[in-house]
Amino acid sequence: MSNDLSEVHDFIRVIPPFDTLSEEQISRLTRNIYIQYVASNSSLPPEGDQKAVLYFIRKGALAYFGNDNELLSKYGEGDLCSVFLLPDENVKISVVTEEDTLLYCIDREALLEVITESEEAEAFFAQTAAQRLKKRMEKFSDDAVVSSTLMNTQVEHVYHTPAATIDMKLNIQQTAQQMTEQGYSCLVVTRQGEMVGIVTDKDIRTRCVGEGLDPLMPVSDIMSRDVLTLDTNDSAYDALIVMTSRNIHHLPVTSNGRLAGMVTVTDLMNHEGNNAVNISSLVAKANKISELTEISKMLPKLQIRMSKLGTTSDHVGKSISAITMAFTVRLITMAENLLGPAPVPYAWLAAGSQARLEQFAHSDQDNAMIISDKLQPQDAYWYQDLATFVCDGLAACGFIYCPGDIMATNSKWRQTQSVWHKYFHKWVVNPSPQALLNSSVFFDLTTVHGDASLLNEVRDKMLEKTKNNSLFIAHLSRNALAHRPPLGFFRGFVLVENGDNEKVLDLKHNGIAPIVDLARIYALQEGVAAVNTLARLQAVAGTPSLTKSMARSLIDAFEFLGYLRLSHQARLLSAGKKPDNYLPPKTISRLEQEHLKDVFKVIKTLQNNRQVAY
Amino acid sequence: MWPFFESFLSAEQQRKRALRRVPEGALKEYLSVPFPDKNATISELTLLSVDFETTGLNAMTHQLLSIGSIEIDGGKIKLASSCHNIIKTKGKLEANNVVVHQITDSEKEQGIELKTAVDQLLLALAGKVMLVHYAKIERQFLRQVCFELYGVRPPLMMIDTLLLAKKRLDIGGQHYDPSIFRLESLRQSFQLPSYHAHNALNDAIATSELFLAEINKYKQGVKTKIRQLLCSV
Repeated sequence: MSNDLSEVHDFIRVIPPFDTLSEEQISRLTRNIYIQYVASNSSLPPEGDQKAVLYFIRKGALAYFGNDNELLSKYGEGDLCSVFLLPDENVKISVVTEEDTLLYCIDREALLEVITESEEAEAFFAQTAAQRLKKRMEKFSDDAVVSSTLMNTQVEHVYHTPAATIDMKLNIQQTAQQMTEQGYSCLVVTRQGEMVGIVTDKDIRTRCVGEGLDPLMPVSDIMSRDVLTLDTNDSAYDALIVMTSRNIHHLPVTSNGRLAGMVTVTDLMNHEGNNAVNISSLVAKANKISELTEISKMLPKLQIRMSKLGTTSDHVGKSISAITMAFTVRLITMAENLLGPAPVPYAWLAAGSQARLEQFAHSDQDNAMIISDKLQPQDAYWYQDLATFVCDGLAACGFIYCPGDIMATNSKWRQTQSVWHKYFHKWVVNPSPQALLNSSVFFDLTTVHGDASLLNEVRDKMLEKTKNNSLFIAHLSRNALAHRPPLGFFRGFVLVENGDNEKVLDLKHNGIAPIVDLARIYALQEGVAAVNTLARLQAVAGTPSLTKSMARSLIDAFEFLGYLRLSHQARLLSAGKKPDNYLPPKTISRLEQEHLKDVFKVIKTLQNNRQVAY
Repeated sequence: MWPFFESFLSAEQQRKRALRRVPEGALKEYLSVPFPDKNATISELTLLSVDFETTGLNAMTHQLLSIGSIEIDGGKIKLASSCHNIIKTKGKLEANNVVVHQITDSEKEQGIELKTAVDQLLLALAGKVMLVHYAKIERQFLRQVCFELYGVRPPLMMIDTLLLAKKRLDIGGQHYDPSIFRLESLRQSFQLPSYHAHNALNDAIATSELFLAEINKYKQGVKTKIRQLLCSV
C-alpha cells in the first residue's frame, strides 16, 4: 500500500529533483526515510547519523556557515540539505539548526539506489553549481530546437495581418507587381472576397516564367487551389508541423472561418528577427514623431512574443537594441532635415545596455555625442539642437530620459574628440573610484550614427591604456564588487548577506549587472574592443583574465538570468504593467530557485577571484 | 525501593504470570520476551508507536477498525518499519466513523482478519515499549481483544504522549483547556506540520514525531531514561 505513507510521499514528490521521479520510485524512497527531530541550535548531522545522509527539511530552519562563521545560506521547509551527502573536503561548512527542526533523512545508499535510475535526479546531486547550470542551459538550446515553446504560442501571436489578397480576375503580371509593391512573396487569391487559392512568387517562377506562360493570363491559372488553413487558435507548433510536412512556406490563417492573415515559415523560425526588421523598416518610413510614438508601442508586444517563442534574451536584447537604434537614426535624420547638414563630422553614441545590445523595452536612454576637433564655437548650437530634438523624440517614444543625465543634451557628454580623449585618459590613467563609478557606462559605447572613426580612435587609444593597467583594473574591480548576489532563498524570500530577507530579487543589480561588470573588466584588462557581454566573455575565454570553463559558467549564468528577466517582464507586460527587474521568488519554481542559487555561486566565485587578485 | 522500580517489577511479574497461562500463538511469543530495562534510554531502545481506529470508545462493545504502527529506533522514526492494517470487521460501519477514519465499507471488505492483524502487532511489540497518544483506548482494546482471542489480558509497557504533555503543563501550574491535549493541538504547539490524512498509520507517525518533540523538552533529550516517561499501569 504505497499511499500509506502519503504525508511523507506527497511532501517529497514535489521537491526537485524528486519531482522527476515516478510515484513508484518515490514510494521506494519513502520507505527508506527516517524522521528525526533536532532541537534548535544543534549542529548537523545529529549525533549517531552516519556521514552520508540527505536531509529534507520538513519543518524548521537550517543555517550554513563557512570559514570565519560567515553566513552562507539558510534553508527552510521543503529545502534539501545535501552538504553531508557528498562532503566536499575543500569546503568547510557547518550546519546549525536555527529552530527546532523536523528532518526526513535518507542514507546515501538508499538514495542512490533510486536516483541512479533517473539521469536528471542523479546529476542534480553529482554536480557542482557550474555543471548544473551548464546542463540547464544546454536544455534551453535543445528546447529551442524542438520549438517546444511554439506549442505554447497561438498562431494568433505569430501571423501578420492582414493577408494580402488579389482578385482571381487580375493577371499574373499584376500579381507580381503587387507582390513587389507590398513586399509579400505570397498572396491569397479571392473571388468576391472569398478565398479560392493561394499564389506565391515561386508559382510565378515555375508555373509562368518557367513554362513560358503569358503573364497576362489570369492569376487563377497558376494558383494552388487546395489551400490548407489554420485557425487563429491553433498553436504555432501546429503551423510548423503542417508547413514542414507539406513543404509549404505560407499558410492562410482564419478566424471563425474568415481570412484573418497569413503565417509563414519565417514568421515562425525567425519570428524575432522578422519583427525587428519589420518594425525597423516602419521606423525608417516614419515622417513624424507622432508616427514613431505609435510604432514604439509595438516594442513591449514584440518583447512578449519573442519571450513566448522561447527566444533567448541575447536575441531579444539585440533586436530591441537594433530597433532603438533605428528610432535614434530616424530622429537624427529628421533633425538634420530640420537643422541642415552638420557643420563638421560627428557621431551619435549609445552607451550602456543599448551599446552592449542588451536593451529591453522601456529602458532609459543613455547617449552621448562625439564631434570632430574641427568644430568652431559658433557651430556648437547645431549639435545642442540636434541632441535636444533626438532626446525629446526618444522620450516621446517611451525611452525615458536618463536619470543620471547621461545624454547628449548634457554638454559634458557632447564634446569634441580631443575632450573625449582627455576624459578616458583621466579615467584610466588617474582613476578615482567615484569618477569610475559614474563613468563605467562609457566603457560600453557604440556608434549609432555618423562618423564611426571618431569613437574608434578614442577607443583604440583607451584600450592601449587599460590593457594590463593594474591600478585602473583594481579600481574598476572594487566598484564591480559593490553589487553582490544574494545568498539564496529562504521561505520564499531572498536571503542577503547580512542575513536579512528581501521580498524580491533585483535581477539587474544582483545578477545581471555583476556579470556585465566582470565582463567589462576582463575586456578592458585584455584590450578587447567588444562591448556586448557575451561577446566579451567569449573573447576573453582562455586568456589570463578568465579560464574557458569559467567563461562558460558566466555565460550560462548570464543567459539564465536573461531568461528569468525576459519571462518576468513578459508576465508584467502581458498584465499591462510596467516591466521591472524585481522578481518575487514565489513566482518562479523551486527548481528555478535552485538554478538561481547556482548562478549566485558562480558569480560569487568570480567576484571573490577579483577580490583576491586585487 | 523506588516506586518506579516497584511498578517495573509488577509489569515483569505480570508478564511471567501470564506467560504460564497463555496458549501457543503470537501472544505467547509477545509474553516470552522480557520488557526493556527501565534505566535504558530512548536512544538505546526501539519503541513501537501504535494507533488504533475503532468504532467507539468502549472496548467491550466497539470494534477495532485498523491498526497503524511504526518503530522509533534510537530516536529515529523508521518509515521502513511502518505497518498499516485495515481489519475486516463484522457489520456495517456507522457513517460518523467513516468520516473520522476515512475507512469505507468497501475498504474494510478488503481488510484482513482481526486475529492476523493483532498477531502481527503482538509480534512487533514483543520486548518493546508501546508509544500511544491517550493510552486508555489502545490499552483497553488490545487487552480486550487478546482476552477474546487467547483468554489472557497481557501487561503492556506504555508511554503516553498525552500524559507527557499533561505532566509538562501541570508542572507549570497553568490552567488549560482540555482540547489542547488533542494530538493535532499538541503538534501545533510544537509547530509540527499538520497532517491531513487521519488514518491509524499517519496518527502513529504523528504521535512519534510529537514524542520526539516532547522529549526534546527534557534536559537529556533522547538520553532520557524511560522510567521518567512510562505511564504507571
